[in-house]
Amino acid sequence: MLRLVLRRLWQGAISILGASVIIFVISRLSGDPVVMLVPPDAPPSMIAEIRAQYGLDQPLVWQYLLFLGHALSGDFGNSYRWQMPALQLILDRLPATIQLAACGLLFSVALAVPIGVLSAVHRGGWIDRIGRVFAMLGQAMPAFWVGLLLILVFAVQLNWLPAFGHGTPAHVVLPAIALGWYPVAAQTRIVRSAMLDVLDSDHIRLSRALGTPERLIVWKYALRNAAVPLLTMLGVYFAAMLGGAFVVETIFAWPGVGRTVVEAVFSRDFPVVQAGVLFTSILFVLSNLLVDLSYGLVDPRIRDVR
Amino acid sequence: MVLQVENLHTHLHLKRGILRAVDGVSLSVGEGETLGLVGESGSGKTLTGLSLLRLLPKGSGRIVEGSIRLDGQELTTLPEAAMAQTIRGRRIAMIMQDPMTSLNPVFSIGDQVSNPLRNHNIAQGAALRSKVVEVLTQVRIPSAEKRLGDYPHQFSGGQRQRIVAAMAIGCTPRLLVADEPTTALDVTIQVQIIALLRQIQADTGTGIILITHDLGVAASLCHRIAVMYAGRIVETGPVRRIYKSPSHPYTQALLAAIPRLGEKRSRLQAIPGQPPSLIDPPTGCRFAPRCPARMEKCAEQPPIVQLADGHEAACWKLA
Ligand SMILES: Nc1ncnc2c1ncn2[C@@H]1O[C@H](COP(=O)(O)OP(=O)(O)OP(=O)(O)O)[C@@H](O)[C@H]1O
Ligand code: SF4
Ligand SMILES: [Mg+2]
Repeated sequence: MLRLVLRRLWQGAISILGASVIIFVISRLSGDPVVMLVPPDAPPSMIAEIRAQYGLDQPLVWQYLLFLGHALSGDFGNSYRWQMPALQLILDRLPATIQLAACGLLFSVALAVPIGVLSAVHRGGWIDRIGRVFAMLGQAMPAFWVGLLLILVFAVQLNWLPAFGHGTPAHVVLPAIALGWYPVAAQTRIVRSAMLDVLDSDHIRLSRALGTPERLIVWKYALRNAAVPLLTMLGVYFAAMLGGAFVVETIFAWPGVGRTVVEAVFSRDFPVVQAGVLFTSILFVLSNLLVDLSYGLVDPRIRDVR
Repeated sequence: MVLQVENLHTHLHLKRGILRAVDGVSLSVGEGETLGLVGESGSGKTLTGLSLLRLLPKGSGRIVEGSIRLDGQELTTLPEAAMAQTIRGRRIAMIMQDPMTSLNPVFSIGDQVSNPLRNHNIAQGAALRSKVVEVLTQVRIPSAEKRLGDYPHQFSGGQRQRIVAAMAIGCTPRLLVADEPTTALDVTIQVQIIALLRQIQADTGTGIILITHDLGVAASLCHRIAVMYAGRIVETGPVRRIYKSPSHPYTQALLAAIPRLGEKRSRLQAIPGQPPSLIDPPTGCRFAPRCPARMEKCAEQPPIVQLADGHEAACWKLA
């Protein structure tokens, strides 16, 4: 178990390093941030001075190594725009993003599991058919579209829920639905097909033959088996949530890492972009690790195999 | 009599047509008796067993005729809820003998063995736990007390099979149906487990139906044997009679196909030809297309001929 954790952490460190290189290169390719910081009529000497101040006149490789060295000691530099440590900026926004992604994932799983189970139990029945239509709709509607639709219906028309901001539990509802909407279809399919397999297995047949009530067969004995494939995918879905958060946070003015990074990209605020993306990838690695560790809890075979 | 089945007809309503999987089966099992239900793959053995529990394939399977009496109580007309609560796992237990797949991989064996006991209100709390340990010990799981939290993959194939047996005997059913699939890999495990069940049977008087394709296995473990072919019982009798003087040509062919010591022979080659389709079976004797003793009369349904005490066969040759 410890070896598994160490191996995953090592793999995670490599992916984070990779992410840092990619984001560093891409952000530098996107243009010169100094242009955004100075008045349009600034003299070249002033531009050069600012460039030197931020180390932007150094060779790219050197800049990266400097960035990495500082990053390892927790220093991501100051935000060009806000004049405060980029790390501080991102860490302040991180809890809101984790909250949103977790609620989004919770929403999708809470919807996908019952629909998937009932679709399998009543295969070809009305729930199965509605579920399929639902899945098609879900796949055809991108997060920003769902987000706008939700705002329009529940915030503007019905005035049930707040459309923007952060603070009360009610604020998280619409953005979480917008974020969690998309993966529902895929998750439903995973649960449905896993349930169909399990319900056709010998051990379920034996449970039936020994008089286990159908309710227990479906929701206890079959579902725990069917949960394994979904659980193994949860890390991927959490990552998708973090990715989707960039869009959804922007639409709902959610004060998270995603929105902060999107704004930083537009103002070429490199330190913030770098810190934001790096922390998103760290979150991604940690969530995958957590999932790896947790499905040992559900599937006892995995505990012993590795 | 623990079980009395008369003229049972079970059909599967498939897209291809009506599959007459069980077509007029009559059999009985006495107190403490073991009946071997023997036949080739596809002859309807499993569906006969499932019919007793009324656990037929959802949507397609139906008992269309006949009676099933357990200790005199008619089961074919019993409401589904009563079947689930008072019969399945309580008075009739059926186990499918594939040790590798019969246990739920993500639940501890303690949970699985206690499940039928809990559902049928046999025991609760501490009494439940000690009952589980008791049955596991009965099927010879070493240090059962310590292993309740272990999962199926931590047990050997033979142990898993015995755990399945423990699940079945916990509620001391009146009838135990043990279905051995034709694909079973390890015959010795099957033989051991049935031998064990027969010891337990001596105390409880439970009737056992052993479903197998292997007449040799059946002969070593059963009191009586019923030979099934294409949905019908073609011969029934005490095991010694069946073994010493098989009367139906199909039984004779099956016996001739049992590999003797040191002889290697594939079972498939043993009886030439294929069993008939159960959707559109031949009228008259169903074995006729493969029967070496076939005659003209065989195009009509053969009569059941009483040969000796409890030995009967359905064949024109004997009439
Ligand atoms: N769920 C099902 N759907 C369609 N046909 C089925 C189903 N179950 C059984 N059958 C058919 O019914 C017939 C009897 O099957 P059954 O399983 O009772 O045979 P069996 O004697 O137990 O064979 P085996 O020794 O292979 O287990 C076979 O022709 C089989 O193909
Ligand atoms: S009835 Fe005729 S075909 Fe059938 S087993 Fe007897 S002799 Fe053979
Ligand atoms: Mg079978």
